[in-house]
Amino acid sequence: MFYILDGGLQTLVQDSGRKDYYHLGVPPSGAADRYSFCLGNILLGNPIDYAALEITLLGPKIEVRKKTVIAITGAPMDVKVNGQPIPMWESVCVQEGDVLTLRSTAKGVKTYLCVSGGIQVPDVLGSKSTYTLSQLGGFQGRKLLAGDEVIIGEPLPGVFHHVGTRIPEEYLPRFSSSIDIRMVMGISSYRLSDEGLKAFLNSEWQVGLESNNIAYRYTGATAAFQSVDPPFGAGNNASNTVDIVYPIGAIMIPNEKELILLLRDATTGGGFVTIGTTISADLDLVAQSRPHSITRFIAVTHDQAIEARMQRKRKLLSLQSLLKG
Amino acid sequence: MFTLPETRFDFGGDEYIYAEISRDMREESNFKALAVTNELRKRQIPGIQDICPSNSSYIIRFDPEVISVADLLEYLKEIDITKSNPSELNMQVRIVEIPIWYDDPLTQEYSRRFQERNIAHEAKSNFELVMKLNGYAEKERFIEAHSSSPYLITMMGFIPGTAWEYPLGLTKEQIIQTPKYISPRTDTPSQAVGIGGAFTVIYPLSAPGSYQLIGMAAVPVFDQSQRLPDLKDTFFLAKPGDIWKHRPVDEAEYNRIVQQVDEGTYRYRIKYVDFSTEDYFADRKGYLKQLMEGF
Repeated sequence: MFYILDGGLQTLVQDSGRKDYYHLGVPPSGAADRYSFCLGNILLGNPIDYAALEITLLGPKIEVRKKTVIAITGAPMDVKVNGQPIPMWESVCVQEGDVLTLRSTAKGVKTYLCVSGGIQVPDVLGSKSTYTLSQLGGFQGRKLLAGDEVIIGEPLPGVFHHVGTRIPEEYLPRFSSSIDIRMVMGISSYRLSDEGLKAFLNSEWQVGLESNNIAYRYTGATAAFQSVDPPFGAGNNASNTVDIVYPIGAIMIPNEKELILLLRDATTGGGFVTIGTTISADLDLVAQSRPHSITRFIAVTHDQAIEARMQRKRKLLSLQSLLKG
Repeated sequence: MFTLPETRFDFGGDEYIYAEISRDMREESNFKALAVTNELRKRQIPGIQDICPSNSSYIIRFDPEVISVADLLEYLKEIDITKSNPSELNMQVRIVEIPIWYDDPLTQEYSRRFQERNIAHEAKSNFELVMKLNGYAEKERFIEAHSSSPYLITMMGFIPGTAWEYPLGLTKEQIIQTPKYISPRTDTPSQAVGIGGAFTVIYPLSAPGSYQLIGMAAVPVFDQSQRLPDLKDTFFLAKPGDIWKHRPVDEAEYNRIVQQVDEGTYRYRIKYVDFSTEDYFADRKGYLKQLMEGF
């Protein structure tokens, strides 16, 4: 068991997310940076989707109440066991009674604490992930607080023999304050003027403070609309469309000065002009970008989006076989 | 007889196909979206992960590692064409009653709180704004207009349990419409009733939102607690294709219903009917009257 001494800013139970309920408005949720999350599970020899703790910016303080093996991945953070620093991206043995302290991140946003056998909470609608907006899943549908007792799985057979295993440097993600996000144009991008489309693609956008697992907000340029009347039923503002179900990663323009990019806790439908959709391989980068950091949007084809997806998958598979071998 | 518009397909990143039946809202487009997505769900195609009808469109989420996008697109186009026959669109639906306290103090308070994000800053409340934009001088007339027609559930999404309602049987001119907020509110009260474009929604829980708030529903539309008999087997009140009927209630009745909900004794008024789109389009007013009889 993990006994929570201090929950930090927002520590949530997350796995690889929810399926099958999107048509009822239930977003997938799950680890915001899937790549870092998977790397933690791969390090421990866990199934790749085992639930872990997702830490946002300020870490928790946890008393470990069962000897097990952990791995910490994602945004770089100072991690200590009983006051002594321990490495990230490496499997580490912790003893009953150890106190684990995670401090603030200087780069990136999300850090993962993975544990052998995974975090054990009941499945809600088929997943252990937390969707805080509807208080659904995870640990009682909310972030962890002091006094919470979080059940962890039985350490997997053989895991203690592999303590000290590290992720090789070339597999580690980079955390930058200036990123490029690839997206596929479409949906209602025809509602932007040529200048608006150019400004969207050629400008640097700044991540806003109101960004979170639901959506990222950006400002910095003007994405001007066409001067046409919105269709019947949309509402007569230039940014209004008849409401649609949004894809995860959708980039909408509620007004010419603001972009909203939907992440894995997305509000799954709405009626704002949507310029296109972020490719799945780059959603992790979005979730790791900090307020005030710079983002450029790069339009790619559907084929390029698939290629990026497969490249990322091949990387995970090769790491998995490397660590097994 | 009526004809259905032709669908335009588009990609959303690497995992989604977006199918736009029409850019404007039409009842026909929604019936078609329901028919196509119902058929697709029945076929249980491996690699298709989410099937979501929306107001005048639908989206499909798929795994491009299991199913080729070119094949899937061709397959969807085929179903889209077969489901363009109006007689294919008949279905069994439920009529559900939703009691609403219009122009209540809580939604007035939220109107004030987020006024600087709205389209107009001078109106006292969102309710008053929507009334004025639609040419109503009296509160009672507006409430009558919003609650007299039955509404079709044309889409679900936003947050779990949110259902878009579109008024049936009206001409475009009769439908209450309003622009959304210019920048979404960061909060909305749970069970608030909002209007955006030609649609009404009830916010299932507190959430961000961009619809103009006009009242409070007395009953939940999403409930994980399973305390209500009608929501024992599901968290979600709505199903696409349902028909909802708003009933105005005053503060006293609102409070009575809220108490019944809290105690777990409230029963939703629900009636099951067979809905024929052909009969509906032949005589919309007459058919709705017959459908809503005794409700």
